[in-house]
Amino acid sequence: MIEPALSLIQELALVSALRNSTFMYPLVNAGHILGVAMLVGGIVPLDLRLLGLWRRYPVTMFVDVLRITSAMGLVLAIVCGLLLFATAAVDYAGSPLFQAKIALVVLGVSNALVLGKVLRRRDVENLPMMARLPFSVRVGAALSLFVWIGALILGRLLGYF
Amino acid sequence: MPQLRFIFLLSTAVFAVFLAISTAQAHHGWAWATDEEFEITGVIRSVRLGNPHGEVTIRVDGEDWVVEVGQPWRNERVGLTREMLSEGREITVHGHRSAREGERLVKAERVVIDGQDFNLYPGRAS
Repeated sequence: MIEPALSLIQELALVSALRNSTFMYPLVNAGHILGVAMLVGGIVPLDLRLLGLWRRYPVTMFVDVLRITSAMGLVLAIVCGLLLFATAAVDYAGSPLFQAKIALVVLGVSNALVLGKVLRRRDVENLPMMARLPFSVRVGAALSLFVWIGALILGRLLGYF
Repeated sequence: MPQLRFIFLLSTAVFAVFLAISTAQAHHGWAWATDEEFEITGVIRSVRLGNPHGEVTIRVDGEDWVVEVGQPWRNERVGLTREMLSEGREITVHGHRSAREGERLVKAERVVIDGQDFNLYPGRAS
């Protein structure tokens, strides 16, 4: 049921052109890496601040700026990632590494959405600057670090196994 | 000071993960293959051309081997097309086999089909 659909995707004219291209494929690949770089590059300092580093700087500053650059990176990574996936959809879908990576991405996005709600509900912006953040926030931040770095590692391993 | 300790712990953890991963065989470039020249002849069973590189499955003495050919531009440069790689044809592959024990995987430097030479890596001895 799902495999014929994936084969169909692979044979789309656009996907076929991308698979056999000289420059488009490496450029889409670069877009995916740029997206991941923006995502992880924003998430790491944000999570570290939530975990208690750099308490001399307001948490709002980290949240407001890095949440946006990370989200932009995520969108770019997803768009380029879908294109790369489509060029070998059947192979990727059957790869346990790929499945694990997607599970981590879904977990990471859900965690980020929940964490965003918790930050608002606990009114983290208005806590004293040096205050240690609520336990739930720190757990979310630690999970986020683990999940996104894990997704990056699995993604890279995909190219080698 | 507890922040320094935290950063130290985190860097140590990240470093440990990278050490663990670096034992993995690289699949791009030549690092994953042996240095020894390798030659094998078989019959083409199936072909998947395209990025990041093409794969040709060949039958050799009842066993399937996977031959990695080039990315699209490299194959096109020497005229190694889908038509040349049709199923049932005999192909001789010169290249390097995987260094992983028991793995039937070869990265092709040059292939010969019907006496015609397709030198994918003219700069490398094959």
